[in-house]
Amino acid sequence: MRAFLLLFSLLIISISASAQDNYDVSLISKDLLPYASAVVRNKEVSVEVKDLDNTYYRIKTAVTILNKNGNEVANIQVWHNKSRVIKSIKGTVYNEFGKLTGKFSESDFEDVNGQDGFSLFQDVKVKHYNPPVTDYPYTIVYEYEVKSKQTLYFDDWEPNSTTGLAVEKSSYTFSCKPTFNIRYKEINMPAKVITGNDKQGNKTYTWQVSNLKAVKDEPYSPNEDKYLSSVKIAPEKFSYEGITGSFTNWKELGKWQYDKLLASRLQLSDVTAGRMKQLTADISDPKLKAKKIYEYMQGKTHYISIQVGIGGFQPFLANDVDQQNYGDCKALVNYTQALLKTVNMDSYYCIVEAGTRKVSPVTDFASMNQFDHVILCLPFKNDTTFLECTSQKTPFGFLSDFTDDRTLLACTPEGGKLMHTPKYTAQNNLQQRKASFILDAEGGLSGNMLTLFKGTQYDNVEYIIEEAPKDQIKSLQKEYTINNLNIEKVEFKQDKSLQPVTTESIKLTAREYGSVNDGKLSFPINATNRMSRVPREIRNRQNDVYINRGYTDEDEISYTLPAGYRVDLRPTNVSINKPFGKFSSTVSINGNELIYKRRMQLFDGTYNKDTYQDLVDFYQAVVEADDNNVTLIKGN
Amino acid sequence: MKKLLLTTLILTGVQAFTIAQDFQGGFVQEELNMKKYDKDTSAHAVFLNEFGNTRIDLANDDRISLIVDYHAKIKIFDNKGFSNGTIEIPIHNSDESSEEVTDITGTTYYTDDDGLVQKAELDPKKVFKVKDYKYGSTVKFALPGLRNGCVIEFRYKLISPYWDAFRKWEFQDDIPKIHSQYEVHIPGFWNFNASLRGALKLSKTSSEIERECFTSHGAKSDCSHIIYVMKDIPAFIVEDYMTAPKNFLSAIYFELVEYTNPYNGVKTVVTKEWKDIDHQLKITDEFGSQLKRKDLMKERMAPVIAGKTDEMDKAQAIYAYLQKWYKWNDYIGIYSSDGIKKAMDAHTGSIGDINLTLITALNAAGINTEAVLLSTRDHGNINTLYPVLSDFNYVIAKANIDGKPYFLDATDPLLSFGLLPLKCLNDKGRVISLDKPSYWVELNSLQKESHTSSLNLTLLENGKIKGTISNYYSGYDAYLKRKEIKKFNSVDEYVEDLDGKLPKLKILKSNISNLDSLSQPLSEIYEVEIDAFDNMNHSRLVFNPFLLNRRTSNPFKLTERDYPVDWGMASDSRLVLNMHLPPGYTIETPPRVVAFSLPNNGGMFVTSFDDQGDAFSFSNITRFTKAIYYPEEYPYLKELYNKIVLTEKADMVFKKKQ
Repeated sequence: MRAFLLLFSLLIISISASAQDNYDVSLISKDLLPYASAVVRNKEVSVEVKDLDNTYYRIKTAVTILNKNGNEVANIQVWHNKSRVIKSIKGTVYNEFGKLTGKFSESDFEDVNGQDGFSLFQDVKVKHYNPPVTDYPYTIVYEYEVKSKQTLYFDDWEPNSTTGLAVEKSSYTFSCKPTFNIRYKEINMPAKVITGNDKQGNKTYTWQVSNLKAVKDEPYSPNEDKYLSSVKIAPEKFSYEGITGSFTNWKELGKWQYDKLLASRLQLSDVTAGRMKQLTADISDPKLKAKKIYEYMQGKTHYISIQVGIGGFQPFLANDVDQQNYGDCKALVNYTQALLKTVNMDSYYCIVEAGTRKVSPVTDFASMNQFDHVILCLPFKNDTTFLECTSQKTPFGFLSDFTDDRTLLACTPEGGKLMHTPKYTAQNNLQQRKASFILDAEGGLSGNMLTLFKGTQYDNVEYIIEEAPKDQIKSLQKEYTINNLNIEKVEFKQDKSLQPVTTESIKLTAREYGSVNDGKLSFPINATNRMSRVPREIRNRQNDVYINRGYTDEDEISYTLPAGYRVDLRPTNVSINKPFGKFSSTVSINGNELIYKRRMQLFDGTYNKDTYQDLVDFYQAVVEADDNNVTLIKGN
Repeated sequence: MKKLLLTTLILTGVQAFTIAQDFQGGFVQEELNMKKYDKDTSAHAVFLNEFGNTRIDLANDDRISLIVDYHAKIKIFDNKGFSNGTIEIPIHNSDESSEEVTDITGTTYYTDDDGLVQKAELDPKKVFKVKDYKYGSTVKFALPGLRNGCVIEFRYKLISPYWDAFRKWEFQDDIPKIHSQYEVHIPGFWNFNASLRGALKLSKTSSEIERECFTSHGAKSDCSHIIYVMKDIPAFIVEDYMTAPKNFLSAIYFELVEYTNPYNGVKTVVTKEWKDIDHQLKITDEFGSQLKRKDLMKERMAPVIAGKTDEMDKAQAIYAYLQKWYKWNDYIGIYSSDGIKKAMDAHTGSIGDINLTLITALNAAGINTEAVLLSTRDHGNINTLYPVLSDFNYVIAKANIDGKPYFLDATDPLLSFGLLPLKCLNDKGRVISLDKPSYWVELNSLQKESHTSSLNLTLLENGKIKGTISNYYSGYDAYLKRKEIKKFNSVDEYVEDLDGKLPKLKILKSNISNLDSLSQPLSEIYEVEIDAFDNMNHSRLVFNPFLLNRRTSNPFKLTERDYPVDWGMASDSRLVLNMHLPPGYTIETPPRVVAFSLPNNGGMFVTSFDDQGDAFSFSNITRFTKAIYYPEEYPYLKELYNKIVLTEKADMVFKKKQ
């Protein structure tokens, strides 16, 4: 009898426990619905470090999908490989009223290779499953457990980084033995950490957020770390693919990488070393020496990415690259470093976050997972040069918009060093065009156009430089909006010096560029560089306005007008001056010559959110000015 | 063992003795010296030679398999051609068996820094296999030691248990080829049809009989050994607005006609005539058997059609019900592999699962409905000379109601009844039913897209324009617009975004109707205010009547085309603008009044204008009556667009009376 009673009371307990999780959609606060296609009801991420090579991630998520656009949130994806093993996955589906309608388990998941779109191979697999529910709204509740063999880095906790996703409640708990020390960094967190101990005597660190509204996508927003909440965690002692180490600052992290991952990778054969000596024998200037070797490396190698195991952080052996002529960024940087070493030149292997958006690591928080690319640094006296090693064409010392103006970590024998890459200013990033056209009475255009591309704009036409002329013309016809553009000749020149310049010269004709109507001839004033898109207006803008990179465009076109015509209607001159940009366009007439000048500048920086409407208006004014026509009429 | 007839492949008159021969591999100094490919000096790389040999034979596991030997040698002129040094071989698998790639070897010949010829061998450990999806993987490797001017050579063997899907051979690639040769060895137990596609001709074909080339457990037969050669093959260049490159790429395809089981002599006719295919489909578990499950569907559809008597009402109810019931799992195909019952219970399935459910459900409700097999636009055109079942990758329903056909695809919940997604509007479809012989139906002229914009505007003294903008969408345009609106969580969010995209325009009021009534035209009506002119202190005001959706550049840039422009459907768009001017203004320059048309009523662009003093009305029609425009029509199409751009660019001028 007693046994029966016990069972009964257990049953009651378990029922009431599950009744706490009520996923009725009507319980979601109305405040969370605007701009949301899904709402996290409750997400609990727990990370437990049991040992240096044994960490458990337990993730439990309940998320309500409000409409079809939220389906992506219900698409569960868990990556795994030899060092990161999935221990379990399961889940349930609830309808609008919180009634259980289905279950799923690991066998429902499909397992495929992870593919980043550019690697030949990565040893990452992804188990994924998207519950087949078509009645909106619905809620899925799933949990999975993953065992990881490394403690070098822990995924950042970003409770709300997806646009269109609101959060009722989300928490993160990190637990470890009292002897395992961590550092953490709270970014834009509304509440501080709560520390404590669990029953097993582990230290615990817990963060929680609740009632976060859905993030709206706002153009010209600053980097996410300026406005989204996140927590970063780094270990003091760690193990990674069998290698152990410890760090509490950038110096130690860089030192560990140099000693454990890099120092042993630089061996090259005597033959190659001899060749490098011979190649640079007649050069005394160290910078020119480095340039020679860099160009040798560019001519010899190409980029192929293969990521297996420790190879995610450790480069291929320099000697392997010497044999195979290929490698990823790590391998090619390491190889270049090895080549330079053969002529006694020191250089640093530098890890950085690449991409046109400038992202720097949090400088007061050393951790391994703030980077995705590697470049090389040549620490000349009074002149630090950085080299991008994955391109066969990039000029020596040119970083373009891929790794410019950001902080990186140089891994040197003395330890890690934070450095900053050069910035290309709005003035540097210059596109300068001069055109001279003859307009005939039928509206036909003919003439020449010369354009210089400098700074990050050097790369504007890089994609067609090595194409055959007929393919170049095809691309340029899409680049320039001149109606009926016929390119008779195009020529490119590249000056690959430290301030590289690309020069494009085009000879062209275009029939019916202007149109004749009613004895009047009208034609678009701006033949060469028209702005056509305006950023959309944003109601209740939340974020500051951020312009990632500035530039300057200058166009000067002289039109020789057909004989017997005079200007009937012409655009008014425009001049706009704003803190974030300048625009001017002028038309002047000199005999039968009409001269159009346009100058557009955008300045990088962060501006108050109230500036945003100004920015929209600025672009709108530019679009309108660029769209103007000139009308000519017969007679004097 | 009786001698079997040889395959129909043997081409008449060519019985000369042919030697099965792969080309001689290895280093050739002249190839390394080659600086350019004379026939295409812009090529970054060229196939010097390519050889493939496919035979049906026993694999090591004693199973009858396709055994493909591939061998190629490529000259790489410069680093833009380096991508040709990374080889990707797609392979397939089922739940039980899988294709396999073995014996991969690769060599790069290059001139080193000292001018010496060197070679680098592919490390077998650096061959990777990547699982792409449930039934497909890719074997990948990168040749080592690539340099400008190098020559790469590689070989592999592919063993496939799917001998019914005999390997096609693509002579043409995105780089040119000097010589490409394909040999096939087909034992008399099998009979395939071969067909050559694309514009290029074979340089050589020959065939011979190989005596007793196939022996297995006492069964033996002769083989036909056929050689196909193509020389000086130009690179294939993709053009905009074309359908699947496969339709134009020069390649040879094989389709299984019949085979005899070598061990028991039982002959199976696979592809002979459509009536055979019809029969085969009818008895297949994954197709015909599903179409016969009317009882199941009768039961399930009963509540859906309860109270409805009209066939059309019933059909629409069932269609809408299944659109909502199913979530498409992104797999395509013509079959329902686990059956429609299982798919329905799971709420998810492939194209085959969902649309076979639809066909069966409609038939169960007494609506005469057939299946239509088709090939999607990216999958290429259909071979209509003889039946090739593997040409089809998609199935839809054709419901016949009151003598009218309705083509239905229930896999997308935003498609209105009778509308197909663009991907289905390709070439022909084959209509299959349980009780009639199958027949062809044209799919590329089924539907059109159309929309009308109607603007009633008044220019005010303060330089603002006020009025209403009404847009009406029907056909495919309505579908696209619905999709665009549904990307937002609510109509309000859509309008907010639209308002944001047009900074000069303020939407004061909006009304979107029939968003969810798919069978009705979609309409958007906006009450707007436009900041047209900063101030009115100008004697002349410039105004462009195409104030929304102006076409500013010609989409067609090429002087001529090799392949048709294929839009999939005809289109019709109209603009009607009625505008009032403030007192004291007149029209100095009217908009351009034009009428342009394409030959053979292929399309037109027309404007008309009516000056009413202090008001005017302007209208425009752009119409393309065809889905496909052939290369000979291309110059006209391009010129029409030139005129459209010119006309839409022209401004009006309003003048203040003195």
